[in-house]
Amino acid sequence: MKLKSLWKKVKTMPFILMVIMVLVTGCGGGEADKGGSKDSASAEKIIRVSEANVPKIDPGVGSDYSSSVALCNLYDTLVYPNDDGTLKPMLATKWETTDNGLTWIFDLRQGVKFHNGEELTAEDVVFSMERMLKMGEGYGYLYTNVIAEAKALDTYKVQFKLKETFGPFLSTLVRLYVLDKSQVMANIKTPGPYGEMGDYGKDWLLNHDAGSGPFKVQELKMQEYLSAERFEQYWGGWDKDAPEAFKIIGTNSAPTIRTLMTRKELEISDQWQSEEALKALDEIPGVSVNSAFMGSMMNIMLNTKKAPTDDVHFRKALAYILDYQIIENKIFPGSKKALGPVPFNLPGAAQGLPQYSRNLEKAKQELEKSKYANNLEKYPVELAWIAEVPDEEKIALLLQANAAELGIKINIVKTPWLSFTEQVASPETTANASIIFVSPHYNDAGSVIETRYHSNSAGTWEQCEWLKDTNLDIAIKQAIGTVEDSLRASKYKAIQESIVDLCPTLWVFDQAEKRAYQSDYILWPAAEAGKAGKPVNTVMGYAFYFHDFKVYPEKVTK
Amino acid sequence: MNLRTFLMKRLMLSIFVIVGLSIVIFVISRVVPGDPARMALGSKAPQFAVDALRQEMYLDKPLISQYVYWAKGVVTGDLGKSLITKRAVLEDVQEFLPATLELALFAGVIMVLFSIIFGALAAKYRDTWIDTLIRIMAYSGVAMPSFVLAVLFLLLFGYIWPIIPVLGRLSTDVLPPPSLTGLITIDSLLTGNLAAFWDGFKHLILPSLALAIGPLFQEARLIRSAMTDNMNKDYVTAVTGYGIPSRIIMRKYLLKPSLIPAVSVMGLDLAALMGNAFLVEVIFNWPGISRYGMNAMLQKDLNAISAVIIVFGCIFVLVNIIVDFIVAYLDPRIRLGGKI
Repeated sequence: MKLKSLWKKVKTMPFILMVIMVLVTGCGGGEADKGGSKDSASAEKIIRVSEANVPKIDPGVGSDYSSSVALCNLYDTLVYPNDDGTLKPMLATKWETTDNGLTWIFDLRQGVKFHNGEELTAEDVVFSMERMLKMGEGYGYLYTNVIAEAKALDTYKVQFKLKETFGPFLSTLVRLYVLDKSQVMANIKTPGPYGEMGDYGKDWLLNHDAGSGPFKVQELKMQEYLSAERFEQYWGGWDKDAPEAFKIIGTNSAPTIRTLMTRKELEISDQWQSEEALKALDEIPGVSVNSAFMGSMMNIMLNTKKAPTDDVHFRKALAYILDYQIIENKIFPGSKKALGPVPFNLPGAAQGLPQYSRNLEKAKQELEKSKYANNLEKYPVELAWIAEVPDEEKIALLLQANAAELGIKINIVKTPWLSFTEQVASPETTANASIIFVSPHYNDAGSVIETRYHSNSAGTWEQCEWLKDTNLDIAIKQAIGTVEDSLRASKYKAIQESIVDLCPTLWVFDQAEKRAYQSDYILWPAAEAGKAGKPVNTVMGYAFYFHDFKVYPEKVTK
Repeated sequence: MNLRTFLMKRLMLSIFVIVGLSIVIFVISRVVPGDPARMALGSKAPQFAVDALRQEMYLDKPLISQYVYWAKGVVTGDLGKSLITKRAVLEDVQEFLPATLELALFAGVIMVLFSIIFGALAAKYRDTWIDTLIRIMAYSGVAMPSFVLAVLFLLLFGYIWPIIPVLGRLSTDVLPPPSLTGLITIDSLLTGNLAAFWDGFKHLILPSLALAIGPLFQEARLIRSAMTDNMNKDYVTAVTGYGIPSRIIMRKYLLKPSLIPAVSVMGLDLAALMGNAFLVEVIFNWPGISRYGMNAMLQKDLNAISAVIIVFGCIFVLVNIIVDFIVAYLDPRIRLGGKI
């Protein structure tokens, strides 16, 4: 092409582009620009939630927050967790246990339809459990060491035989999402890693559901969103103001969230917005910030196998010197000082445990009893915080300043999550102190106690204490194997008391999970419960059971 | 050396570059801390599931064997499975690459076009207010990273002046065109879906501007500088003396030779647009391969990381070949090895 003709084109292009730009801006401001009719709250009763990622909607695979939200809306479970930590019937209308807690029999609700119109039977429950056991992914770990056999006794009766007694078994069943066996089997790919089951339908279940829950999948766009619409034949029925659809958007980018909330294109934000971002969101007309205790706790885990934190008195000195009040009031406002190893609102959390609160005198006394008291300069404490959670640095700096009052030197180390998970694999490479948030896996104190303090979890990010105490392991196993609730709770209490006495952790605070939401036009039961001072569902995901939400498009703030 | 031989040599060289890149990125992605199988399945997953996944990904084999398995797969079009999306990485690349390509192409058009215009204007009106204005814009544009511009655009057009869509590729009430190339604007034109074209086009404006502005002004400064240098050359004095109108001198005798140094930089910038898109895609919620790559790195999704880097590497190499070709076309001394 000659330069002359190229230049002619170049000369005319800006004008074309300018005309286009004028047209673009001239036509701007229309409904489509603001998200379109389908995206605006006024046109459809929809709940849109942002999460850190797009959910994995295969019940055998997903287990993170986003997936947990999606799964409890797409699938039904045998039992449903109440806000107060108890369970109520769902697919199972009643249940009984025999053999001293080794056999569980559930009677199923009749007439429950899957999204494809087929009826849900005991065979589907057995298939769902066996699939989880064989795949071992997602929430499968809850059952792999527990279930010996799953069997359909008749069309509406299912039996589970346990390998050994497991007290919280019923609580874990809120994670057994029931799949339509025939639909999954019709979509398996062979060959696959699971022998005759091929890929067990994993490929198909990436963006389809085979559930009976209140919502059915409309579209799942990888890395973008999951959208689901109401299942009109849902056995649980529908309220006239209930949402017609929900959408989980996989982003937590602060500017994006703010834009979406301002445009009323997002009803509930994710929990990862910083305090500053939440303040800005709170200022948007019609938007409020909900703060609820959902079981997450911040811990400073102390390595009990490395000097100087191997000394219980040294650990107690740190526990007495930390200024919990400043954290509660200034650094993480809305949070609540932790009362022990288990979040206060988890069933089985012990009441009246001895407390560590800031007390300079007690801290000095404990330090004097420590074998490192006269050699503090030789034993600096390495304190790791996670680079991806910037607010943790404030806690690290506070503890550093507090410990300096005792003459303890703390070296703060900012550690990326990947490196951190690798470093905690051995006691030598684990820092003296690690700042970590931990959430329960199911709604029972045993979940936290076992995960955090049983020797099996040493070397994972959930136990940087390296407690490895045989007596404690035996006590945990005995307690968790106790079927009777009150007896189990008393065993849990004894364990919590002994853990507090060992002081392997600074239990800093129970985290108030904060999310901005459109309080003007949606009714979010968990937020309402929180406002009324009532307990909020602590089972991850269930505070977002959209079936119980209400949407009032006419109340959208203009 | 004719253009064909020149091109063949460059292609051969590129194969070595890609193989070298694949080895480097493979080793780096494997030696960073963290067990990808454990990370994919979670800390509570039973060991048998983790072991099965490790076996499936050949992570239980020595590094060299792992590379051989991976390279064999790449040659046969199998890039492995993603730990994040749980499906074939090739499918992911096919889904996310077009979005980034469309963004980079659109940004590239803006960048090339306006850098020439601003560069030429600044040279023609050198030392006037126009030149000063373009210089100020250039300093601001170069100094401001793409993601800062992206946030500014989002704040400006998201709240204060909401006249243009700011998030995603298409409004949800607009029916997307059937995927032929994966580029929404092209596909919608090919299928005659003007509503989708218009909507897709509007969604492209802000993210591509955020990407293009920095390199655009950098190149404008280069073109201005080359043109003003050439203005002092004897041949320009001669053609001016012959009475040739200044506008013809500008476009015929100044612009072409002045473009040569800028073209090389433009090529690099074009390829770099995709790399710069990482944060811009996150901010504008743009479902492209840059955002996919960033998630892959954060979650140690080995196959996805390797695939994204290789794809970027191939694009970088390809763009460089095209740039070399253009430069060789514009300046015969280059393809003839300076023998002219």
